[in-house]
This record gives sequence, C-alpha cells and structure tokens, in this order.
Amino acid sequence: MPVAPRHRKRIILSVPGWWKTDPNLPFTLGPRVIPGRIWTASGCFAYGLSGHDISAPDIPSPYVGIGAVVTKTVTPAPRTGNPMPRLVETGTGAINSIGLENVGFEEFLAVTLPDLESRGVPTVVSLAATRPDQFGEMAGRLQEKAAGYTHWHGVELNLSCPNVAEGGHDFGRDPDTVAACVQSTRAQLPDRALLAKLTPNVTDIAALATAAVDAGADAVSAINTVIGLDVDLATGQPVLPRRFGGYSGPAIRPIALAKVDEIVSRSGVPVVGVGGIENFEDALKFFALGAVAVQVGTAQMRDPFAAARIARALAL
Amino acid sequence: MVELPRPAAIRCDGVVRANDPVSSGLLCLDLELEQPVSFLPGQFAMLNLAGDSSLVFSRPFSIFAAVGPVVSFLYREVGRGTRAMGALKPGDPLTFLGPLGHSFPVPDPRQPVVLIAGGVGLPPLAAWLEATGDGCERRVNAFFGARDGADVPWGILGDKWNVSVDNLVGMPPGRDAWHGLVTEMVAARADLRDGPPQTVLACGPTPLLKAARKLAAGRGWPCWLSLEEHMGCGYGVCKGCVVPVHDPGRGGGALRNATCCEEGPVFNAELLAWD
Repeated sequence: MPVAPRHRKRIILSVPGWWKTDPNLPFTLGPRVIPGRIWTASGCFAYGLSGHDISAPDIPSPYVGIGAVVTKTVTPAPRTGNPMPRLVETGTGAINSIGLENVGFEEFLAVTLPDLESRGVPTVVSLAATRPDQFGEMAGRLQEKAAGYTHWHGVELNLSCPNVAEGGHDFGRDPDTVAACVQSTRAQLPDRALLAKLTPNVTDIAALATAAVDAGADAVSAINTVIGLDVDLATGQPVLPRRFGGYSGPAIRPIALAKVDEIVSRSGVPVVGVGGIENFEDALKFFALGAVAVQVGTAQMRDPFAAARIARALAL
Repeated sequence: MVELPRPAAIRCDGVVRANDPVSSGLLCLDLELEQPVSFLPGQFAMLNLAGDSSLVFSRPFSIFAAVGPVVSFLYREVGRGTRAMGALKPGDPLTFLGPLGHSFPVPDPRQPVVLIAGGVGLPPLAAWLEATGDGCERRVNAFFGARDGADVPWGILGDKWNVSVDNLVGMPPGRDAWHGLVTEMVAARADLRDGPPQTVLACGPTPLLKAARKLAAGRGWPCWLSLEEHMGCGYGVCKGCVVPVHDPGRGGGALRNATCCEEGPVFNAELLAWD
C-alpha cells in the first residue's frame, strides 16, 4: 500500500535555466521606468510605510528589491470600512471584507505620499472611486502635487473590489466602464504608469484587459480577489457581516495563473500577475506565462519580507 | 504615566525548546530565536508554522517572558493554529515576528496598581509584575481568574497572585481561591475600595475587560486593557483587527477605527467605544 510522503516534494530547488530576467533590474512600463518586477499588492502592505521598523537577520529591510509598493486603495473621501469580523482564514486561503478603509485622498496626498517619497519607497497609488471622472480628478491632483517626485511611479485603478456594498461600485465587470475609468485617468497622467486591476469574477477577463489597454492603460493587474463566503456552523450564518468577501491566498493561485494566461494569449497586453504568490517558485509561474511583473499580497501579511525574499531568490 | 520606548520588531526563525502544559488547559511554549529579543509587557508576537505547513495567517500571542534568545508564550488550544502549536515538539521550527504593538504603561512609582488577569490573559500582566512591580515602593495587588482549580497555573503564579475560580473543582490541596469572577474578587476588597485610587491593568476575555472597565470607571480609577482580537498581519497593514474608539480630536462623540495590532493591543479603557 502506498504511503503518502510527509512533505510535498519540491520540484525546483533553484532558479531554472530558462529564467534570464533579473527582477531587481529596472524595466519600462508605458512612459515609466519601474525599479523592479517584484511588487507588493494593494491592501497587503498598507500604504508602504509599515515595514521601516522591522528587521530580519538575513535581510536588512522589507523594501530591499521591491520594485513597487502598490498602496492600500485610496478613495476620494476617507472610509471607516466594514464592521468586524473582517477576515476569515479558510484552509489555504483567506476571505477579507475590510471595506476599503482608508485615510481618504486628501490626507494621502498631503501626508502619506510625501512621506513615501522622502523615504524613497517606490510607489504605485491604488485608487478607487464611485464615478469614472473621479479617477481623473484624483490623477490630476496627484500629477499636480507629485510631478517632481522620483519614487511615485504610477497609478493602479481598483475597479473590482467586491466587498464594497455600494450600488454600481463594481466597475470592473463592464468593458465600457473600465474604459471610461482608464480614459479619465490617462488624460491626467501623461508620464506615469497606469494599470487597471481586473476582477476574476467575470466570464471574459481578456475582453476587460483589451478594453483597459485600448483606453490607455499600460498594463493590467490580474487578478483581484475572488468572491468568497464562509459559514459559521455554530450560527448557520455567514461569518462576515456582509456575507461575501474577497478570497485570496495560495488557494487562488491556479485561478490567477489561468486568468493571466487567458489575458496574455487572447489580448496580448502586458500583465502584472497577482494571486497567491508566496515564494519565488510561485512568482516564476506567472513570469513563465508572460507576466511583466508580479505582486505579492496575502503572503506579505504573514511575512513583511515575503516580496523581498522573492526578489532576492530570483536575482541573477 | 509613561510608555517606555519600544524595541524594534524582528522577523526570524525559531526552534521550539519546550512545549508543556502548565495547567489543565494552558500550555507554555519556549521558542529559541536566531537572535536575542527584548519586549515590553503587553507586547505580542505573531507565530506561524514554518515552510510548507505555514498557516495563511500567523497567530498573535502575548509575550510571557524573554531571556536572551528564548521567548516564552502561554496559550490554550482553541482553533486550528493553536491545535497545531500544541502538537509541536522540541526541535520543531516556528516563525516569529515581534515584539509588536504597544505595552502596558508604567504608572508613577507611588501609584498603586491592580492587575486583573483572566486565563490566557495572564502573560502580559505576569511579565509586567516581573518587570515593574517588584523592588520599588509601589503597591501592587494581582488578581488571576480561571475556570476551575485545575486550570490555574499554580507553578507560574507563585504567591504574588490572588486567585479566583468559576468552579471549585480541581483545587489542589493546600491552595485557596475565591469562588466567583475575578472582577467580583477585586470589587469585594474593602481595602482597595476605601484606599487611595488605583490604576487598573487588565487582560483576559472581553466580559472580564468590560467588568474591569466598569469597576474602574465607577471608582474614577485609570484603567488600561489589553484586547484580544483575531489578526491577519499583526503589524498594521491589513486593517483586519480594528476596534472602534472615541476620537477626542474630532469631538462630538466621533468614533474611528483603531488597529488592535498597531495602536493596541493595550488601550486606555476610556477610549474604547463599547457602549
């Protein structure tokens, strides 16, 4: 009778021979040169200021090798977010319902972004709004305030946060609305990278990617969280007060890989891969499919050095 | 009332040196880290299984003690993470991120203090007593409550703690305990009620914290509570462990969300919007 091995067999022990791109080197994305290809994902490293006081014996800082921190999503007005509980761990994934809690665009612009610039954190600002024109307004203000900033590299549009329960907020499912949001932003953002983060909760993600790039985006980030739900058996009710949340973590990696493949093969647009990346092997799978960069999300919550470790492991 | 400068957090690997029961429900885990670590009482660490066994989220534990590179935790098996921890043997690896969060404050040395700990809420207050309570003129009264006599870690408590139990079963011979809630034991002490104002420091289940807060508020005593909350990251990035607090800066009874991990876990009881 076969005996199950105690540990999963590791197929790759070091970086494979086909890997020829050092992700620690700068690369061009649209009008901008980005310092590296290993990023942290929105919502998983806050605004990018929380890692400065943490050290590790083997890495001097969580920022070493990080190409960009995609900030926690910022909205035109501050948001207090959703009631607790906001997180559920489910085996190899986690469902969140944070509700876009954030300091609001004005405070971000006045306090957070200058702080990121002075600390030299490579930054991509994640924006969400309730109308397409608000994206343009915020992009215009960013451009005004931060035109001289050297570490602000771009904007990622959060068009698909499934845990915000406001009518019509989930822009990300309609190609025309995605295009409107991108156009409004692009018009104000001549010299920074513009990314649209796509939801996987659609039947044709490649069409959304095409719409975003045709409207002026330099790349798409794929994927945002998958809609998920867990039930508390003690009460028979969903664990999260808003029932649904965004499912993330290693469980969604195969979904993310499939969506990235679909976008690359059908739309041919540049993709930043995100979804369940925990280590350099996971990152390599996205690069193997043609991703131009990757974002580390849930794993960054567990280990502030997760992205830095991946960048180090893939250095050539 | 001061909070001492907080030591910087480190993220490193550790090896379990001991993992043994200290009562019917509490276990003590000693973890030897790659480097020495210091902490302030009330601070916590995020622990996780190493390698392919890692849980999606690390789990927060108050730090009980740290001697050189060996850091100790008291815990109870309540869910998937702590059950996995309970199965760890000496030599097994764990990952460590800490110390994190804000500590209990250190009141003026002449200010008498009441410590109220419930069950697994003992570590930060035991650490506080060890670090702060001895060797000065301060008068400290320490109270610990457990489910029953068997769940009291008698060997850890020594003779400094007044003990209460919800249920008198399991009491070892020669030991005494108040029968009832730990906060009732504190409330019944006439010398505290009639004496000078105390500062209350409490850690334990939410009903205990609410009772401690009510007791302190009724007597006009300052009160600091260490909250227990499910956490995603422990270092302020995920916003998954928020606690509604009053926001005096904005006035008008305004509330805001404070992260339990970064702004807490120790809060001034007056700021908590529990009403």
